[in-house]
Order: sequence, then structure tokens, then C-alpha cells
Amino acid sequence: MDAFSMGLIAAMGALATVAGASEDIESDVGSQSNPNSQVQLAAQVGNPHRIYNKAISGEPPANALWAATAAMVAYTLITAFQMPALFALVAGASVAALFNGVFSMSAYFGRNSSQRRFNQWVYLDIVRYTTPSIMAHAWITSFCIATISYIMVYMLPIPHPFPMPIIALIWGLAVGAIGSSVGDIHYGGEREFQNRQFGCGLNTMLSGQIVRKAEAGLRNSIDNAWFCTKFGGPATGMGFGLTVFLDNWRTTVFDPVTQASLAIAMGIFFIIVMVVYNLYIEKSARRKYGPYPEYKGDIAA
Amino acid sequence: MNFDINTIVYILEILVGGLLVGIGVHFVPVGGAPAAMAQATGIGTGTVQLAAGSGLTGLLAAGFMMSVTDNLWLILASGAVGAGIMMGSTMLTGSWIYAYAVGAPFASAKVNYDPITGFSQPPYVAPGTVGQGIPTICFVSGLIGGMMGGLGGAMIYYPLYLINGNAALSAMFAIGIFLVNAVIASWNIQGTIEGFHDPKFKKWPFAFRACAIASILLALAAVLITGGA
Repeated sequence: MDAFSMGLIAAMGALATVAGASEDIESDVGSQSNPNSQVQLAAQVGNPHRIYNKAISGEPPANALWAATAAMVAYTLITAFQMPALFALVAGASVAALFNGVFSMSAYFGRNSSQRRFNQWVYLDIVRYTTPSIMAHAWITSFCIATISYIMVYMLPIPHPFPMPIIALIWGLAVGAIGSSVGDIHYGGEREFQNRQFGCGLNTMLSGQIVRKAEAGLRNSIDNAWFCTKFGGPATGMGFGLTVFLDNWRTTVFDPVTQASLAIAMGIFFIIVMVVYNLYIEKSARRKYGPYPEYKGDIAA
Repeated sequence: MNFDINTIVYILEILVGGLLVGIGVHFVPVGGAPAAMAQATGIGTGTVQLAAGSGLTGLLAAGFMMSVTDNLWLILASGAVGAGIMMGSTMLTGSWIYAYAVGAPFASAKVNYDPITGFSQPPYVAPGTVGQGIPTICFVSGLIGGMMGGLGGAMIYYPLYLINGNAALSAMFAIGIFLVNAVIASWNIQGTIEGFHDPKFKKWPFAFRACAIASILLALAAVLITGGA
């Protein structure tokens, strides 16, 4: 372990945290992934809305595409045209953001126009001012992930054997999986349904009854991003940052050639700590919130 | 290429890796879209997506380890631990959202008492839902599943790298074989499962057979590709 590689690991952790946060907010502005099922359903149960609707695919494959595109363009520019790494990564992320914009707009037009029979409109102003915001967040995500891949391949003392685009593809899949597992709960479980009783999941009877009015005027996806930035985005960032940082930290502190078993033992230690922390959260939530008063069964709380 | 005893060993290793992925997916507690609305227990995403996210993070760790050592056990353990870290941090941060943003206690609707902690579950299931959050039993089950996925990914990558000596090609093939097995297992559990305590888990022999057939076919194709890139 030397100070330089430790600094690189810290930078990777920081970049991953930013990537996780921006990935989640990108999926909230654009309304992608699982909670979008309610946005899609809303118009069909008689609630036309002004929320962006772009379920291009699941978040992991979508983000794998953006990240791998950015890394591939950057890799080509670095190896074939000898461009400076930073400019190449910026150019790669810009290409990925353009891809994202094309997919987002076609998804919005396609999905909303197919719901014409439910009185759902295509709002051109929504397309005009939400799409750049989605693209900007996709730019941040793909830039951060392509940079992480660059550091892993070209800068760490023991370079990773995979080429940059494949590492970016895998980290893109991982960040999408974390974003759709963590941040989307804040958007789907909390922001879309603020009209129900707090402290429980969504009752099945309320499916499709999403909140359509904002503090002033009609709610749109920019309002949702503002809300999810407060907790869902940072929590996703923590999740992805922890994954990248802890996974690389243990093989940097312990030399993988001579102390491989210590690196693995350290990983197992991290996993055990996580189990204990989750148990603590479970216990404290049960103690603070208590059982639901509507429960009528025999099993004691 | 020469079709010798080593090739058969490689095929068997890929088969075991594919089976580990297929069975591992059954352990991962995913609730799909309903879980994203805190309407069902588990992680609010799709089975394949989460399994792929964790298993391939394990593949990154295993690939890195394989570049510095050729000890099979270290490579496999590294893959499993890498996947376990990703799965653990995902479920942990997901728990923050369930506990502190949605404000719901964790409960499973499939069992009356958590088999690990002994906590009662039905009083904490919100009306109109089938549980929410990630109770300890689901967390442990998810870690087992994620680590099996990472182990399987490493087990597929190892023989492929020995055959063609090209990390990129082996990684792409490992990702492909991984995804095929994860999708087959996902069909078997119809998209959602709570973990090894879920009654759906008893259906694993069907996935075992299907994954075995798919992995054998993929392994036959994979060992024939000896590189060239």
C-alpha cells in the first residue's frame, strides 16, 4: 500500500458516490424503472399527469449502455488518437448523454402517445425542459463511471486485466441495480404516494393514484427530482460508493499477491458488519413504529 | 483445439458455475415493482438485474485476483466476497430508505416468525400489502445468493481464461453465461421471491435441470472459442 494508490481508491469512492446519486436522480427525473409502473398505470385509471415517462429498459442495462458507450469512446480516443484522458472521458460522456437524450425522447413520445385513449397528452414543454436535465444527470453518471474504469485500468499499481469498456459495463450494471434497489423506493414508496397514510407501504387499492398536484400548480418530474435529492439520491450514492470503495480498499491495503487471504477475510468482516447493522435498523424500526393497529390476528407483536 | 481430459474438466467447471448462478438467484429476496412501493418484502428491483449487478461485481474482483495469482480457491473466494459486499451495501442502504423515508417496520408475509431472529411478522405487515423492507432472514438469504452468484461467475471465468488467455473475451462470455442462467432461474420463481424461507424456493430443482442443460450447451460453445483477439 502506498499513499498514491490509497488516494486513487478514495477518489474512486468519491466518484462512485456521485455516480450513484446522479444515477438515481436521472431515473427519478425521467421516471424510469419500477416506480414508473404506477406512472404508466395512472393515466389508465383516469389520472392523466405531467410526469415524464421513459421506461427505456430496466435501469441496469440502460446504465450499462451509457457507461460502456462513454468508456468505449474515451478508450478509442485515448488509444487511437492519443487524446488527453480528461478530454477523452468528457467526450465519451457527452456521446453517452446524447444517446440517453434520443432514447428518453422517443420513450416519452411513444409511451404517452400510446395512451391517447386514456386522455394522456404529450406535453412538449415537458420534453423541452426535462430532457436536458435527464441528459445532464446521465452525463455525470457515465463520466464518473468511465473515470473509475480509467483509474482501474491505467492508474492503479496493479492494473485490472479487463479493458475499460467491460469494466464500465459491469459498474454500469451495478450502479443501475443499486439505483433501482435503493433510490427508487424513495421515489415510488414515498414521493409518488404522499396522499396516503404515512408509515406503511402502498395499499394495493391505491395503485395508480399518484400525486399529481405540486406545492404550486401541477407536479412534474423536476419537482420529484428535488424531493428525491434529499435522501434517495444520496443513499444510492452511499450504496454504490461503499461497493466500489470497500471492494477496492481491501485489495489495496492488503497486497493481493502476498496477503490475498487477508483481503478476503476483510471482505467477510465487512459483510458481517452489514448484517449486524441491518439487524440494528430492523430492531429500532420495530421498537419505534410498533405494530399496525389494524392487525387482528393471534400472533403477539 | 485438442479435445482432451482438460476440456472436459473446463466444461464441468462452467456447468457448476452456471448451476451456482441459477440456484443463487433463488436466494436473492426481490420483490419487483411492488417492493419499490413498499408493497412487498424484499429489494425493489428485478431478479436478474440484482443478481447480475452483484455477480458481475464479483467477476471484477475474481478477474483482478486471477491476474495476480493462479490459486483457484483465492479466485473463487474473491469473487464471492466481492459480490457479497455489493449485495450487502445495496440491501443496507435500501433498509435506510424503508426505515427512515417510508417509515415502515420490516416484515415478511410468508412466515409468522423470522427463522433467524424469532421476531413475529404478521403484526408488522401494513394493511393491503404483503410485507415490506428487508428482515434479517431476507438479508442473510440475499447475501448467500449474491455470494453464490459471485462464486458462479468466477467459476465460469476461470476455465475460460485458461482456455483462451484473453481477459476481455473470457469476461464477455462469463457475463453472457451468467445472464442466461439468471434469466432461467428468474422465470422459475416468476420474478419475485423472499429468500430460502419462501415456499417458491422449493421449485429450485426445475431451475437446476434447465440451467444444467443451458450451461452444458453454452460450455460446449465457449470452450471451442480459443481466442484470436
